[in-house]
Amino acid sequence: MDRSSEFFSTVESLRSRAQPHLPSDKRRLLSPMEQQAGSMGGAQQSKPKSEVSLMAIMIGKDIQATSVKLQKLARLAKRKTLFDDRPVEISELMHIIKLDIAKLNKQIAQLQNMVKEINAKSPHNCRQAMEHNTNVVVLLQSRLAAQTSTFKDVLELRTENMKATKDRREQFMFTTQQQSNTFASDSPLYNIDRRPTSSTNPPKDILSLDLPTPSQNLQQQEQVQLVDANNQYMESRSTAIESIESTLHELGGIFQQLAQMVSEQRDMVQRIDANTDDIESNVAGAQTELLKYYSYVSSNRWLMVKVFAVLISSAVTLSVLS
Amino acid sequence: MKIYAIHVVRNDIKPAKTIVDVKDLASFGFFQRSSIGEFMTFMSQTIAEKTQPGQRQSIEEANYVGHVYARAEGVAGVVITDKEYPPRVAFSLLNKILDEFTTRFPNNQLWTPEQCSYPELQQYIVTYQDPKQGDTIMKVQRELDETKIILHKTIESVLERGEKMESLVERSDVLSTQSKMFYKTAKKQNSCCVIC
Repeated sequence: MDRSSEFFSTVESLRSRAQPHLPSDKRRLLSPMEQQAGSMGGAQQSKPKSEVSLMAIMIGKDIQATSVKLQKLARLAKRKTLFDDRPVEISELMHIIKLDIAKLNKQIAQLQNMVKEINAKSPHNCRQAMEHNTNVVVLLQSRLAAQTSTFKDVLELRTENMKATKDRREQFMFTTQQQSNTFASDSPLYNIDRRPTSSTNPPKDILSLDLPTPSQNLQQQEQVQLVDANNQYMESRSTAIESIESTLHELGGIFQQLAQMVSEQRDMVQRIDANTDDIESNVAGAQTELLKYYSYVSSNRWLMVKVFAVLISSAVTLSVLS
Repeated sequence: MKIYAIHVVRNDIKPAKTIVDVKDLASFGFFQRSSIGEFMTFMSQTIAEKTQPGQRQSIEEANYVGHVYARAEGVAGVVITDKEYPPRVAFSLLNKILDEFTTRFPNNQLWTPEQCSYPELQQYIVTYQDPKQGDTIMKVQRELDETKIILHKTIESVLERGEKMESLVERSDVLSTQSKMFYKTAKKQNSCCVIC
């Protein structure tokens, strides 16, 4: 029996219901939910997408986007370069991710309330639908909890790296007055790090883990904003002074290079000096020789006359004889 | 980047009262100056009231920014600038002004516009119009940069000197050999026979 036409019609119906960019488990969740909706025939849930599933889809997409941002932040935080650090970008990203996580928390709380209302309205018939809705909410909350824990790890890593870079910078520049500023500049990060880690230690229930964190996040955001204005001033001062320090350091290096080049040229100057001394002695010696020769020749003229006279006389005698 | 006004406000009483202030509103049209000046006084008094002692804040409003620093004694300094002025320079200026003010007039009975005269504020607003001139840190940075440029030029000229030195070495070498040949020839001429 050829049931391929049935198969095609099923595929078409599924495709018309499915949306793009959906995680695969959501698709699986949606299709049994639609079957149950079809069996129930309730007015609210007879649409192919109920409000709950729409919200769940949106929350899933947001979680995906936040995880992408979190990965980028993790990559930035892992860099260990000394001077090329980009604190502005990193702090902006951290702020954005904090806000996203808070927003997601609120949305999941709303979704949970909606699910509770729906469950209260239609009590007995669709126990499976109730269970399914609660499972969806629990799944979203667990994903958000995993993301917040990765975010906390990234923050801890970032504070460690900042401490390490400040230590290394101190080694190169021999300053101790920055230490008082590091505590002030790192304290918002330290505060945020310490509280969530203490709250995740008793992992009783995934639900209870998420509910404290949004309130703490909001409190921390307020504190950060209050402390921030003063800290920003201090931080900008310390960065300005650090840049002055690095300029001075470079200047010192430049002076050293200069001294080295001049000392290299000192050897060349000595060579030139030796050469000119040789030239002088050579030329003086040659001049003496020439003087001697000249005096020899000028004193020798009398002898030359005698020599020529002898020659001429011999030539004359020869001619006379022959 | 410009400073528009500097105010010293006492904020231990509500409403806050301006003690001394100085304004530079030359960039605005003649008829707008008085209203803008009043607006700035009002703004500085408001934000000085709202700032806790020991706190610094930068508040943006229309296209002005007010930097306020409140001291524990009950005075606050407000500097109103445009948006591009670096806040760090504004806060260091505020530090300086408030330090001088509190050392000069430590008694808070004296804090009235008639008894407190602070003529240096006028000088400050003029010098700090260019933050690179007024602020010490920026001055030092600028001089260091100039020194660095001079040093770069020096190193280039030292490199040229090296090249010239090299050519001098070669030429003195050549001269030395030539003079040696000259000497030898002269000597040979002396010792050889004189017949032809």
